[in-house]
Amino acid sequence: MSRLKSVLAYTAAVLALLIALATFTGMDSFGRKLVSVTGIKVSPWMIGGEVVSVIEHEGYQTVIHRPVFDGLFSERKKGMLQIDWTPQQGLPARVDELIDFDRDGKDDFHIVLNPESNKAGLEAINPRVVSIEGCYTLKDGRAARLSLYHD
Amino acid sequence: MSVFSPRPEMPAPSTARGIVRAVLLTLPMLLLIAMMMTQGELPKDSLTRAVTAITYALLGAVFFLMVYKKETYKYRAALFTIVAVCFSIAFIANLVEMRGSMAVSRADMLAGETPFCHLVIPMVIIPAAFTRTIIFPGSLLEGFANIASMLILWLGASLALGRGWCSWVCFFGGFDEGFSRLRKKALIKKIAPVWTYLPWAVLLTLALISALTLSPFYCEWLCPFKAVTEFEQITSFKILLQTIIFASLFILLVVILPLLTRRRTQCGLFCPFAAFQSLANKINIFDLRIDTEKCKNCRLCVKDCPTFSLDENSVGRGKTLMSCTKCGKCVDICPQRAVTYHIKGTPVAVGSDTARILFLYPAFIFMSAIGGSMIVSALTRIFKLIATGSMIG
Repeated sequence: MSRLKSVLAYTAAVLALLIALATFTGMDSFGRKLVSVTGIKVSPWMIGGEVVSVIEHEGYQTVIHRPVFDGLFSERKKGMLQIDWTPQQGLPARVDELIDFDRDGKDDFHIVLNPESNKAGLEAINPRVVSIEGCYTLKDGRAARLSLYHD
Repeated sequence: MSVFSPRPEMPAPSTARGIVRAVLLTLPMLLLIAMMMTQGELPKDSLTRAVTAITYALLGAVFFLMVYKKETYKYRAALFTIVAVCFSIAFIANLVEMRGSMAVSRADMLAGETPFCHLVIPMVIIPAAFTRTIIFPGSLLEGFANIASMLILWLGASLALGRGWCSWVCFFGGFDEGFSRLRKKALIKKIAPVWTYLPWAVLLTLALISALTLSPFYCEWLCPFKAVTEFEQITSFKILLQTIIFASLFILLVVILPLLTRRRTQCGLFCPFAAFQSLANKINIFDLRIDTEKCKNCRLCVKDCPTFSLDENSVGRGKTLMSCTKCGKCVDICPQRAVTYHIKGTPVAVGSDTARILFLYPAFIFMSAIGGSMIVSALTRIFKLIATGSMIG
C-alpha cells in the first residue's frame, strides 16, 4: 500500500513539471477557453455598461451605455450611466445635447460639455438622473459618468 | 551530537561525479529555458540576441549551482531579487514609452487597458462567482498582462507549486527578499506570532469590501507595489490620499521592516494574496518536512524563516505551517540537515534529494519563463541607456 502511495506521489510530482510546461505553451488557448466556458466579462462599473445606442452627428457620435445598477446579489438603488463622445477630432467647441437614455421617447437630461476644458453641466429632466460623477478623457474622445437612481 | 556540532556533510559524490550529475540534470532545464525564451525563434536584432544569451547563461548557471551545490535559498533569492528589479525597470520603461508616465489615466482604465496582476485575484473571486464579472479595469484577452493569461498562470503555478508561487513566481516578492538580505543581522529579532494572522484578516476584510463595493479595494488603496509599477494619476484629493498610503506602505513594509527584521514582512505579515495562496499548499504535492529524530530543536529555522512559516509547534510536528513558500532557507541552514523538500505520500527523509530536484524543475521553469523575459527586457533598456542616454524608444 505504501509503495503504491509512493508511486502515485512521484507521478503527481512529475505531473507538476508537465503542468508548468502546459501553463506556458497553452496559456493563450487555455485563457480563451476559460473566458468562453465561464462567460466572464469585465465589470461594467469599470469600463461602462454595454453600448445601447449611438447618435450620429456631423463629425462625431454620442455613445450611450447601458445604465449600470449591478450589485453583488441584486441591483443597487444607485447606479451610473456613461456617455461617450467620439472621435476627438470631430467634436465641436461645445456639445449641447438632450439625451433619452432609457429610450422611452422622452428626454431624460440636458448635458452641455466643453471638450477643451473637459467640464460639463447637467440639467436633469427625469428625476432618476442625479448629478455628474465626472468627465473623463478617452483615447479618442470624451466621456461623462452620471449618477442615477433606480426606478 | 550537540546543537553546535558541525553541519553533517551531504553524502556528496566526488567532485567530478558531482559535476557530471549536475550537468546532466541541468541540460534538460537548459533546453526548456531555451524553448521558453526563444519560442523556437532567435531574436532578430543583435542587442536582444546578446541580452538573451546573457540571460540564458545566468539562468543556466543559477540552476546548475542549485543542483551542484545542493543549496537552494541563496541562488533563488539572488535571482528572485534580480527578477523583481528587472520587472520594475522593464515595466516602467514600457509604460513611459506607451503612455509617457507611470501614471495610469482614467482613459486607460475606461478603455480596459490596465495590466492585471495576481495580487488582485483574491478580491475578484467572490464578485466573479456571483456576477460573472471581473472587477478590474483590464482586458480579458487582449494586450499585455491580460486577465485570462494571468488567471491561467496563477492556476498552473498554484497546482504545480502551491504557495511556492510567493518565492518562485511573484515578480514583486524579490523586493522584499532583496531588502531583507541587505543587513547581516536583524535589529528587530522578536515579532509576536499574532502578527502572522494579519494577512488573513487583511484578506477577509478586503475580499468582503471588494465584493460589496464591486471595486478592487486593495489595488486602489493599499498595494505597496504601485510604487514600483504604476499608479493612478493624481487628479483629486482621494487619489492623493491613496498615493500617500501606498507609498508609505511600500517604504514601511517592503523597505524598512525587511531591513530591520531580515524577514519578508510584506509577504509574511500583510499581503492578502499570500494568505490566499497558502490554501494552494493544501492541494500541492510538494511540502517541506522536518525529521524530528534528527532535529536538535535549535530553532534556527524558526528564527530565520523569511515568511514566518515555522513555529515551535510546527517543528515538533515535523511540518512547516501552511504559509510555507518553499524558498529553501530552512533546508539550507539546518545544522542537522533535518529539514528537507518532500513529496506528500512518500516517507520523510527518504529520497529527499529526488524530491528537491522534482520540485526545482517546475519551480525553475516558472521562475525562468516569467523572469527570463523581464531580465531580457530590462537589460535591453539598460544597454540602450548606456548607448543612447535614454531607455525609451
